[in-house]
Formats: sequence, structure tokens, C-alpha cells
Amino acid sequence: MKAYFLQAIRGIKHNKSRTFLTTLGIMIGIGTVVLVLSAGEGFKSYINAQVEMFGSNTLSIETVVPPSTKDRNANNNTGGNSANNAVPITTLKNKDIQDIKTVSNVKNAYGAALGQEVVTYGNISKNIFIFGADASRFDIDKGVIASGRPYTEEENRSLAQVAILGHDIAVDLFGENDPLGKLIRVGNYNLEVIGVYEPRGSLGANDDQQIFIPITTLQKKFLGIDYLFYGIVELTDGNKADATALDVSDLIRRNHHINDPTKDDFSVKTQAQNLDTFNTILSAVTFLLIAIALISLVVGGVGVMNIMYVVVTERIGEIGLKKALGARNKDILFEFLIEAVLLTLLGGIIGILGAAFFAYIIAKIAQSFNFAWSFIVPIYSVVLAVSISMITGIIFGVFPARSASKLNPIEALNKE
Amino acid sequence: MLIQLKNIIKEYDNGGVVTRVLRNISLDVEEGEFISIMGPSGSGKSTLMHIIGFLDRPTSGKYFFDNENIETFTDDELARIRNERIGFVFQSFNLLARTTVLDNVILPLTYGKKKDHIMLATKALEAVGLGNRLNFLSNQISGGQKQRVAIARALVCDPKVIFADEPTGNLDSKSGATVMNILGRLNSEGRTIILVTHDRNTAEHAKRIITIKDGTIISDEKNHHQKKSEIIEDDLEL
Repeated sequence: MKAYFLQAIRGIKHNKSRTFLTTLGIMIGIGTVVLVLSAGEGFKSYINAQVEMFGSNTLSIETVVPPSTKDRNANNNTGGNSANNAVPITTLKNKDIQDIKTVSNVKNAYGAALGQEVVTYGNISKNIFIFGADASRFDIDKGVIASGRPYTEEENRSLAQVAILGHDIAVDLFGENDPLGKLIRVGNYNLEVIGVYEPRGSLGANDDQQIFIPITTLQKKFLGIDYLFYGIVELTDGNKADATALDVSDLIRRNHHINDPTKDDFSVKTQAQNLDTFNTILSAVTFLLIAIALISLVVGGVGVMNIMYVVVTERIGEIGLKKALGARNKDILFEFLIEAVLLTLLGGIIGILGAAFFAYIIAKIAQSFNFAWSFIVPIYSVVLAVSISMITGIIFGVFPARSASKLNPIEALNKE
Repeated sequence: MLIQLKNIIKEYDNGGVVTRVLRNISLDVEEGEFISIMGPSGSGKSTLMHIIGFLDRPTSGKYFFDNENIETFTDDELARIRNERIGFVFQSFNLLARTTVLDNVILPLTYGKKKDHIMLATKALEAVGLGNRLNFLSNQISGGQKQRVAIARALVCDPKVIFADEPTGNLDSKSGATVMNILGRLNSEGRTIILVTHDRNTAEHAKRIITIKDGTIISDEKNHHQKKSEIIEDDLEL
């Protein structure tokens, strides 16, 4: 067995640049597999951190278009987040949130809505999102106010014209200056800056570019509405999330006078369900990328097969000699098969190292943008990559190796 | 009797055209003989050596090696015989390129069952006067030395027979003489040597000369004036 390896290593070492080029396809294929899995884990760690930011042990209440609505049949069963639909659902109210606070296992809750306005300070104007929520949000959300204070429930009820700035928008408007106590122009109103958030980083809607104001102020003064876009409910015991979600649904159904649960205009989701949705999407994307990587592996494998056929032709005299010296067909077969497997394994290992390097760079870049993104190379991805590269070597090495082992020793000797 | 050929016929089928290369060859070889098989190119002498050397099978006829009928042997068993009981020396040396002299001689041992590869290979190389060239690469030594490495490689598994196919064909006369001298010495130590050559002068080193023409043996006679090469001990320079 050791002799097979020595012969195979001799073969690989004899032509280093060709070995490298041959294994390039395998490197890219294996590298992609590991990178996709690693980046997937990193993304998961980030999403988990994001979910934690909303507060752990929470339920989310979204508004949905009732699936039975006549012209919405296409959306059957699934419904759709009203934020994605042209028709806003106006039934989720502040009262629902206040009532939910009385449900058992509910610790706290807040409702939220989003608007868009031009914000001006001095000669700087920006068109940004304005996030409205009641004061309970400060007890649930993990965002940290770096300077200043949150607004109170009294300020919320009295439509106070106060604002807390996201980190980036504070820098954009005020630069080095202290924003606290200053008045900023938001739409047609002057709002007093009472706090500034620490940077928190986010995907999609960037919290650092938003300002945060009392929900009633947003509803009455800016949007002219009396409903909420969504609500967040904090639980005492996260293990009872499913049961509490049913209780909360019952309560909202009662408030909205809905008898048939299939006609719900809202949807209560636990964190686990939210993560499930995310994980389903991530799995689909991962699967797709790995399928693409497998194509690269097949191309790489064919490259290895091609080179192995060339190697067999090149060493035809050597094969004849070895047979004359007593090598059995099986000995020749193993020598070439092991050479092919070592080739793909080498490519695989370089691919893994390359992928780890890129995954590290991605994590560092993400972290530099304040994303809570961990650098993870899952062990299972390495095991998978090593196995796949060896299997590729066997699959694409066996035909050239067989053709080598079947050579007639005399013809092979005469080729020299 | 070491080798016994009875009515060996070998035919090649080239797309329907059958060429008969060996016609009814019968031959007995005792252990310890030194035989030259002579003949012009195309006479069938190489084909005969391939058949005696288990690299090829006859179309018909019987071949007994050590009183065993090789017809019944599988390919793997023939490989085992090639490994353990015979050794080959070729005209073009057939050493592994960019590989040390020692590793070249170890090669047949890797296909056998013997242990102590390095010790056996070193001993074989010392027997051909190359004990001081163990770690040279095969392309760093002269042609004569290459052929001596090949002889050491043929010798390392301690075979009964050594087949030499035109062993001096690619060598100058001095190196050729050294190689023939070594083969003669191996024979005097009791090893059977079968030499294939087209050159009368080289053939004269053997005790018995068999001449082949057009696939049949036309003469088989004792060589009463066997040549002895002068021992040339200074052939160790690069």
C-alpha cells in the first residue's frame, strides 16, 4: 500500500505546474462548497444576532391581507405581509397592543409604524425613514442609546415632538457637534433630539439611518392614520411561545370581530417560525449554490480524468516495465487510482484553505460594517469537501487507471 | 528441466491477416545454462523471449517452467513468476527517470513479498559494482552504469533465469564488455542466462547458441569457444 502511494506521489511531483492546473477545477469546486457553507453559517449567526436585537423571547404580529378576499385568490393560504401589498390593512390598532399586555405569559408589547420624511438641520437635508413605536420598545429592543434618553410613555401619549437619532443620521446632520437638545425639521414639524443610538448595523432597512419617534406622534402628525404596521410582543417564558401565540391570536380575532380563523387579517409568528422561514430561504440558496459548485466539480473531475489519460500515455513504457517486473494489473490500477485521488484531494485541501481565507475576509468586512457576523468554517463542510474531492478522484480516475492496468506489457515496452 | 517448450506456435491477427511469427518451436533449457538466441530482426527471437518470459502466451503448444504447465496459470500468477523467478534486462535500460538508482532497484521488490528492500537492493547494486552510486539519479549516470543498474534490478529478487534482450545494443564496446562480463559471472554463480541478440560477437559469450530464422530454429549448437571478457574494474567513472 505504501509503495502505491510512493509511486503516485512520484508521479504528481514530476510535473508540478500541470498538477496545479489539473486540480484548479477541483479547487474552485471544493472551495465554493466550503465557502457557501461557511458564509451560510456566518449569515445565520448574523441573523440570529439580528433577531436577538428585536429582543429574545418575542412574538411578532404582522398584518396580512385575508386570503378569502375575492381578487386575492392567488395569495391563498399564505396571505401576504400587508407592507408588501398595495392595499394597506388598517385593522391593527394601539388598543390591540394594550389588550395583548393583559394576556398571560406576555411581559410587554409595542406597536410600530414607519413613515418617510425630509429631515433638515442647518443646511443639510435628508430623506429618511421615521420609525414610530410606543415607549415599551425601549424595554424590549436591545438597541443602546449612547447619549441622551428614551422618550417616556407620557410623551408618547401627549404626541411629544421628540426624536432619537440613529448613529449614522446623527453624524450626517450634526457631524462633530452634540445633537442633544437641538431642534431638527421633520416634514412640517420641529422635533427635539433627546437621544442618539449606538451603531447597530443591519441588513435591508438600516436602523442607523432612521430616526425614532413616539408612535402617536408619527400616526397623528405625519401619517394621519390610527393603525399599526406591526407589533412585537415580549414573553415571560419563551418555551410557551406557541401557546401564547394562540392566545394572542384569539384576542386579536375577538377585537377584530373575526369568527373564522382562515379570514385572519393578521398573523402571529414566534421567533422559531421567523427563523424557520429564514432557514428555508437560506437552505434553498445554499442548495442552489452547491449545485453550481458541483457542476464545477464535474468539470474539474473531467479535467483530472483527461490529464490521467495523458499520464497513462506518457508512462506507457513505465507501465510495461512494471508489468515485466511483476506488477499485477491490480497494482497498476491502484497506483493510478491513488494518483488521481491524491490530485483531487490536493485540489480539495487547497480549495478548503482558500475558502476559509475568503470566509474570513467576508466576516472581517461584515464586522467592519458593524454586522454581528461570525467567521465559521463548519467541520461538516470540511469533512464533506474532503469526501467529495476523494470521491471525484475515484470516479474520474478509475477509467484511466483501468485502461493503464489493461495495457499489454509487450506493446507498452515497445513504446519506450 | 527448467524450461521446456513443445511445438510452440505464435500467430498475430492483424485485422484478418494472420501472421505466424513462431512456427513449431521446441526447446529444452537446463538450469545453469547460458544461451544466446540469435537471429536477424523479424526472425521471431523477441517474440520467443516474451513467451519464455511470461509476457505473452503462445497461440498453441505447451510451455513447462520448472515442470509446471503455464497454460493453467492466471495473469496474476504469471506476474508473480515474473517477479520472483525471472529477471529482465532490456536494450534501452528502462529505468524510471528522475528516480534514484536505489529506488529503481527496489521497484520489483515493491511488487513481491520479500522484506528488507533497501538491504537487498544495496547488495544487488554492490554485485554489479555500483555500491557507491545508490543515491544518484538514473539520468546522472553513464549508459554502461544504467545497464548495470538494470542488471541489479533483474537480480534483486534472486531469480532463476535472467532474460537479456540486446543488453549491449545501446552501449559502447567497453561498457558492453563490462555488462557481458557481469552476465558471465552471474552464470558461473549458477544462474540461467538467456540472451537475445542479432550480433554474433555478443552471442559468442554464451555456452549454447540457438539461431532462429523466420520463426523456426535453424541451428542449436554448443559454443566451444565461449568468449570471456576481460574484467574491467575501472568502469566506475561517470
